[in-house]
Amino acid sequence: MTDWKKTAAALDPPIPEPDVEKLLPVMDALEAAFRPLQRSLTAESDVWTGPEDAA
Amino acid sequence: MTILKSADALRAKKVSSLELTNDTLEKIGRENPRLNAFITVTADVARARASAMDAELAHGVDRGPLHGIPFAHKDIVYTKGVRTTGGMKIFENFVPDHDADIAISLERAGTVMVGKTNLHECAYGITSTNPHFGAVRNPWDTDRIPGGSSGGSGAAVAAGILPLATGTDTGGSIRIPASFCGITGLKPTFGRISKRGVMPLGWTMDHMGPMTKTVRDCALAFHAMGGPSTDLSSTDIRGLRIGLPLNYYFDRLDLEVSESVRTAVQTAAALGARIIDIKVPDIDALNVIGRVLLLAEATTVHLENLLTRRADFGSDVVTLLDQGRLIRGSDYVDAQRLRRIYIREFSKLWSEVDCIFTPTTPTPAPKIGQTTMNVGGVDEDTRLATTRLMRAINVLGIPALSIPCGFTKSGLPIGLQILGAPRAEETILRVGAAIEDATSVVGRRP
Repeated sequence: MTDWKKTAAALDPPIPEPDVEKLLPVMDALEAAFRPLQRSLTAESDVWTGPEDAA
Repeated sequence: MTILKSADALRAKKVSSLELTNDTLEKIGRENPRLNAFITVTADVARARASAMDAELAHGVDRGPLHGIPFAHKDIVYTKGVRTTGGMKIFENFVPDHDADIAISLERAGTVMVGKTNLHECAYGITSTNPHFGAVRNPWDTDRIPGGSSGGSGAAVAAGILPLATGTDTGGSIRIPASFCGITGLKPTFGRISKRGVMPLGWTMDHMGPMTKTVRDCALAFHAMGGPSTDLSSTDIRGLRIGLPLNYYFDRLDLEVSESVRTAVQTAAALGARIIDIKVPDIDALNVIGRVLLLAEATTVHLENLLTRRADFGSDVVTLLDQGRLIRGSDYVDAQRLRRIYIREFSKLWSEVDCIFTPTTPTPAPKIGQTTMNVGGVDEDTRLATTRLMRAINVLGIPALSIPCGFTKSGLPIGLQILGAPRAEETILRVGAAIEDATSVVGRRP
């Protein structure tokens, strides 16, 4: 899992430290839901480029 | 009065556009202190415009059903010479030097703009409790939110101030206030209505659309905004295939919401529609994809102001913008790759059904300031719960209509969401009109 505190501190400018704490549970939950989906992607998985992709 | 009734009255010379406009301005004066639905009111300009529209009609120039009809823009739509705040302190004195495409389209249709409606700050939230311009209140219960982000538009239409207001929808911002306020809201197919001149939030998920009291008014406004004409002279839905999801959409709902939506399904069946049980693709996954996309896109939109004027944003918006700074570029691209897969997966449903019925929101309107809610025995964050049946639809880009389908015992409106295939707005408007005609929900007033 990503170390969000470290990531937030490394940004230029960094996210103010007092505000980082409240981001952690949300970002952890989002990452936990997103990574398994990401792992389902293959080399053939192209990017969405517009409504015509729905066809 | 609806657009249709006003249009008839105008042509029968029973009323003038100036009288309609003065009546609207009087209602704003009376209701806005209670609802805070408007940020800006353009009374003098509106009266002059209404007189000009009356003069045109008197000289035989008829621009169509919206000619002379008072309406309001969500205050995120560029209006030349009229300040456009986006609900943000940063733009509190911003006056555009040009109109948005949608403003041009509605002006060409003969409408009379009376003002700009309040909204959630930069359209990034569902409460419309705006820290800079004050909280918008729900006309059905002023202790409750109207939903958002197009909350002022929803409250103004529901209160009978206006028959039409514009909205934008990036994760439910038209449909949520339509549901909470008991009105009709259409999020058209992605790209169908021009967004040029509308302050963006998420470029690949922003949609423009109308918010009205009735489905027929919604169809007229959609056409005036640049959508195709919809013939609702017949609302025969016999044989139409309506999908009813067996998974996800009815899993965790307020009981009264579930009952009202299922009653609407029975109404459609009684009108001759075929109800077909379906299994929808993973909506939780689509919601996660949508959140990754929106966090990154919204932060990109507002990054410069976030870094230079952080204190001028409300705390809820700052938190979301900070989250967006933590999204990696590769994660954003992967979310767009996943989006393509799920769009194709979902599109297979359109060979089985013509439209899909779901609740619009899992609950009726929460209280102002309520940050968590218990839905079906589970405590949820109010924002995430309210967008849970919405956000995936913005990722898919398909059209969605919200219409009122009932009320709770305490008198709060309940919304039915009707989903259609890409560019199938006519189908969902026809189904919505059929349901509306068969019930008496729309006639109820706050």
